[in-house]
Order: sequence, then structure tokens, then C-alpha cells
Amino acid sequence: MIERWMSAETYEQRTLAFLQNFFVLIAAFGFVFYGIEHWVIDHQTLSHWSALIPLYVSLVGAPVAVAMLFTTRKAVAYPFIAVMAISVLTGMLGALLHLVWNANDLGVSLFTISGFIDSMQVPYRPVLAGLAHTHVGAVGLVVGLTAWVKD
Amino acid sequence: MIPAFRAATTSTGRALEIVRMVLVFLVFGGLLGYALELYVIGHWLPNFQAQIPFLVSIPGAIFTAWLFFDRKTPWVRVAFIVTMWLMIVTGVLGAYYHWVYNMEDARGIQWNFTYSMAQFHGFRPVLAAMAYTNMGVTGLACIYRAR
Repeated sequence: MIERWMSAETYEQRTLAFLQNFFVLIAAFGFVFYGIEHWVIDHQTLSHWSALIPLYVSLVGAPVAVAMLFTTRKAVAYPFIAVMAISVLTGMLGALLHLVWNANDLGVSLFTISGFIDSMQVPYRPVLAGLAHTHVGAVGLVVGLTAWVKD
Repeated sequence: MIPAFRAATTSTGRALEIVRMVLVFLVFGGLLGYALELYVIGHWLPNFQAQIPFLVSIPGAIFTAWLFFDRKTPWVRVAFIVTMWLMIVTGVLGAYYHWVYNMEDARGIQWNFTYSMAQFHGFRPVLAAMAYTNMGVTGLACIYRAR
């Protein structure tokens, strides 16, 4: 990505390369950041094995995102795109599982408005927080899928 | 964004506008999601600053949606940029106040590492507030060099 920026010739190429570099950095920062956050809040010590997934995705996603800054060769870009797609799904699955487990803990049905709202309000298992991985993945994915664009 | 995408004549120009549209759409979706979340969790505490993120979300969602159809009108661009800066500041201040209020609920404000980190993951989520900073930075990046 850095090389694309340095070799850009037109106004549009420079702007696209700037955005690609910027958002790969955001993705890399997001993975490091959320990886640390998972560790700080002890997400990995939770009883269900699926609680480890976001940490693993972060551990793989951060170095691959950093590698994308230095090369867009297919050996790096394909794994990058795959990890970003997995991160998108991880976030969606995480939000859904948080919501379902909140409903289980409260003993309410998600198919009622009050049950849904009560399940969204549980502070120790935030529903939308899971979507942070979807966001990081989507940001990376849009960069990965436009990594080879040339005029 | 959409008129610029349709007017783009090169692959780079089209890719550039696709990147912008996807990221601005993420910001738009984020603003709706966070506004809903703030409403659902009852982020309406009896102080004014607790209402700021919801209030900022309203012009944020409006100008973000507007940008899809028109980014030429100067006052729309200025309003969008100002709103994004407001969101950046909102996120940073929100994180700070969540952290400080967590400390005040415990044993008062102390910045030693063990105690402050314990309060970092207290009742109020510190990093969650910075979602606004993230959205603001993304919005600013998307309008950067957009002619």
C-alpha cells in the first residue's frame, strides 16, 4: 500500500492510495486495540470456547494488516481479504450470541419487544460491541478488494 | 458520492468512490446503531453531557446521508466536517468521563496503573465512547480531497 501511494501519478491514484493506507492502518490498529481489550476484560477466560474467536481473529488480523502496508502481493492480499471477511462474520456472530445469551440469562424471549430491549440492556455483555469486529473487517475488506485497481 | 461515482471515468476514480461510499455507509449505519443503542440503554442521565452523543448523532446521520447525493454544496461540506470534528471530540470526552466516573464510583480519581486499569473496565465502557471518534475520523478521511 505504501508503495502504491509513493508511485501514484494522478490526483485520484494518490487519494485512493491515501485512503487505502489510512484504512489499513485503522484495521491494524483496531485488531491490536481489540486484542488488548479482550485481554483486559478477560474475554478469553469465559467458559464457552467461542469467546476465544475474536482474540484469535485479532492475533491473525493485526500482522496481516501490517503486512498489507508493505506489499499487496497475492500471498498477503488473499489471506488479508479472508481474515477481514472472517472478522465481519465474527462480529455478526458475536453480537447475535451476546444477544441470545443475554436473553437466556434473563429468561426472556427475543421475539417480544420488551424481551429484545431487556436483552440489549445487559451491561456486562454488550450486544453492539461485538459488531466492532464487523466494522474493522469491513474497513479492511474494502481496501483488500480494491488493492489491485489500476487504470 | 453517488454522482461522483457515476461521473468517474477511470477504474481508480470508480474504486475511490466505492471506498468512500462503503465507509460513509458504515458511518451512517454506525450512527443509527449507536443512536438506537443510546436510546435502548437509557443514556439519558440527569446531566447534559449524557445526551450529547445522541444529539450529535442527529446531524451526523443527516449530513452523512446527504453526502451520498450532494457533496458540492459548500455549506453541506462545512456542516459535515464540523459534525465529524464534533463526533471526534465527543468520543474522546466520553471515554475520559466514563473512566473518571468509574473511578469516582470506586475510591476516587487516582491515576496509578493498577487502580486506573481496574476502573478502565468498570461499569461504564471506556472504549465504547470512542466509537464516535472512530466514526468522525472515518468521515473526515472520506471527504478528504473529494472534489
